Amino acid sequence: MSEVALLQLIGLIVVGLGISILLFIKSKFLRVIGFVVIVLGSFSLVALSVPQMASLPPAIESFDIASVESPDDLASLGQKIFFSKGQCALCHSIGPSESARCPDLAGIGAKLAPEFIYESLTDPQAYIYLDFRHDQLPEEYPAQMPYINKNPIALSKPEIYSVIAFLQKMSGEPISIKVEDIMSPQSEQEEETVAIHGTGDASSSVVVAQATTTGSQ
Amino acid sequence: MYGRPLHILRNSTFPISGVSLLKWGGLLVLLLFPILAWAQDAATQAMSVEYRDLPGIGSRNIIWIVAQQHLLLAGFVLGVPIFAWVCEIVGWKTKEQRYDKLAKEFTKLLTSAYATTALFGGILLFLLVGLYPKLMAYLTDIFFPSFIAYCLLFIAETATLYMYWYGWDAMQGNKKFLHIFLGFLLNLFAIGIMIVPNAWATFQASPVVVADGTAIERAWAAMQNPTWWPVNIHRLIANVVLGGFICGAYAGVRYLLAVTREEKEHYDWMGYVGNFIGVFGMLPLPFAGYWLMREIYQYNQQMGITLMGGFLAWLFILQAMLIGVLFLGANYYFWLGIAHRIPGSEGQYKKPIMAMLVVLLACLAVWMTPHSLVASLAEAQKMGGTHHPLLGVFGVMSAKMTVSNLMILVTFMSFIMYWRAGKVETAGWAKAAKALMGVLLAIAGIAVIVLGVWGYFVPAIIRINYFSVAQVLIVIFIMVTFTPLTALLMKSAKTTTEMVWGQMPVRAGYSLVLNAVMVILLMSLMGYARSSSRVHWHIYGVMRDTSDYAYSPALGYAAAFMSLNTFVFCLLAAFIFWVATLGDKAKNQPPAGGEEAKVPPLGSAAPAMAGGSPRQGELSS
Repeated sequence: MSEVALLQLIGLIVVGLGISILLFIKSKFLRVIGFVVIVLGSFSLVALSVPQMASLPPAIESFDIASVESPDDLASLGQKIFFSKGQCALCHSIGPSESARCPDLAGIGAKLAPEFIYESLTDPQAYIYLDFRHDQLPEEYPAQMPYINKNPIALSKPEIYSVIAFLQKMSGEPISIKVEDIMSPQSEQEEETVAIHGTGDASSSVVVAQATTTGSQ
Repeated sequence: MYGRPLHILRNSTFPISGVSLLKWGGLLVLLLFPILAWAQDAATQAMSVEYRDLPGIGSRNIIWIVAQQHLLLAGFVLGVPIFAWVCEIVGWKTKEQRYDKLAKEFTKLLTSAYATTALFGGILLFLLVGLYPKLMAYLTDIFFPSFIAYCLLFIAETATLYMYWYGWDAMQGNKKFLHIFLGFLLNLFAIGIMIVPNAWATFQASPVVVADGTAIERAWAAMQNPTWWPVNIHRLIANVVLGGFICGAYAGVRYLLAVTREEKEHYDWMGYVGNFIGVFGMLPLPFAGYWLMREIYQYNQQMGITLMGGFLAWLFILQAMLIGVLFLGANYYFWLGIAHRIPGSEGQYKKPIMAMLVVLLACLAVWMTPHSLVASLAEAQKMGGTHHPLLGVFGVMSAKMTVSNLMILVTFMSFIMYWRAGKVETAGWAKAAKALMGVLLAIAGIAVIVLGVWGYFVPAIIRINYFSVAQVLIVIFIMVTFTPLTALLMKSAKTTTEMVWGQMPVRAGYSLVLNAVMVILLMSLMGYARSSSRVHWHIYGVMRDTSDYAYSPALGYAAAFMSLNTFVFCLLAAFIFWVATLGDKAKNQPPAGGEEAKVPPLGSAAPAMAGGSPRQGELSS
């Protein structure tokens, strides 16, 4: 007997029990219980008559850096991290979206150098945004971006490189991250200045400036 | 010994010097090393445990049962003080003692349920810590400051409740204001107790990235997740609805068991007030639910689709059925009231009641029509798909929103009809006001339908952002204009038929019980929906459920579980209320002369919006 059939049988018995109580028991309180039992049994029977669909979990994906053989593998791994462990998609969208609370990342791999993306992920307060739209002193907008290499997200360096590779591929750029770099990551010197590519034309109202007074660093 | 100077200890004859202490200590460490190492291993092993299971019932099922009981009890405990306090204020302002007595009776139910709620909360916490240690460690890391806030709120709530309940009789007269202030504090702390755990649960469904910062900053950032306030508002209203209908069911059962006329009158009146509170809360509840759903879609479209169009889609057909029965039950109780409490009104309102019934049933039929029909292959081929060529149009949101708004309108008009029954307006402008209300009602009904039909021909975003919102605003407009207008009309109205309490048929008591069961089932069903929308995540997109229970069960199994939970809760509530009223039984024993000696003449009742005869104040509660 299937689980649904078993539950239907139990439901019918429960409804029958409730009807019996109403028919043969005089105690008012027990009759109320009988009525409740009929209602609950009927509800279960209706719920058992609609299509029964359970939601099964997908297979667990493991991020095996060792399995990466080509830049495309790297980008594919980065895509998985972007939408899961990295939690990037919680705030960012790729393409216009009403629900995105943070900048749209479409084409970001073509606009920004990988070194700058890396720094934005691991030291988001390194640069702050200045808004010159008003005829006043520029307003500062400190980044709300979390440190992606620290808890609770805590991506490893190879994982961050994978995400950058994904962003480049998604932007139609050739992937500049090399597989060898992932396998044996070298300690990199933090660069004082980072080239910024394609942040907009000269009339753009929002510019990026190097922070000088970010005490939180 | 406590004040003994240190040098006396040094010079004591105890045979262990500093050097020998080190030697002995070293030996002890060597001897105990295997035990210490084992303990360390055990601790490391314990720290790495992600899940534990309970054989037989399973960890998820036991959490499901205990959490549901705790949530329902908590909903009752947090909802009742709101209207108990309002009742007390009404009694204080109108000087009508019966409202004060009713408020006290509500609070009596509250005090007895409070300890049981805390008990289930404690059991739930132990089970969560034991069965889901990894998840709880993660949540504790983020939310620990809010745990402290919760504990403080709980202490404040408990102390206030004690003072509120035990100080009721002592704080009468010129101290009443102090008691009402205590009631205000009670509700304030209760809302705090509700919204803090809501943050934990909503974070699981709609987490935000928690950046670096102090513990308080991190907890606050996590609390302010996108669905926190929609759930807060939705639960606040739903708790009032739950509390109202449960008090109504309590009164319904007491009415059925009542022996004396006084008891019948009192519990008839209490049942009316409970139903009134439930309906009052139920009218704006769909709007709050709509806002919550909208936020979920905005937060994560995939989650919205899982709920409304994925494996949970059929759940909303069940929801429609439960809400439909609840609307029918609440209206039926109003209609019974017109027929039995206001003699002579039945014939006058027969046609409007029939029209309302037809509209409600038609709306329910539309609401329950699924988008994709359960059909065999041959049937699907004949239809040209799983969508019925005619009925398929009723399966989409535009139709559902339209009929839900119409059902709210009808229910509201049932209440207005009940309010006006047995009275004749005497104001000179009454005719014009009634005509205006009629025109407004007709325009509102037509506008809701037109917007619903128009919604089929515009992009979804226009419908969701503008049309649905406009439908909601139209219905709210009707409610906020009709209520004061009717109150003004009734102020100078002449009573033609006195309202008589305690004459309702037995089925009125059962309809009150039915309404409560529907609300409990609805809360259970939507709790399952909210939890299942996270699919295989403990914290959506952040912490995956890797246990054996990571799947979401099918509706039939879940519904059977909900029924079991509802039944357990009903028995629990019955036991708690029975215990709470044990002391009254001795006081309310009928005198030796039998009940007939106490039966007052009929027709001594006075009509009022919240109902009741002048004698109600004299009744024992």
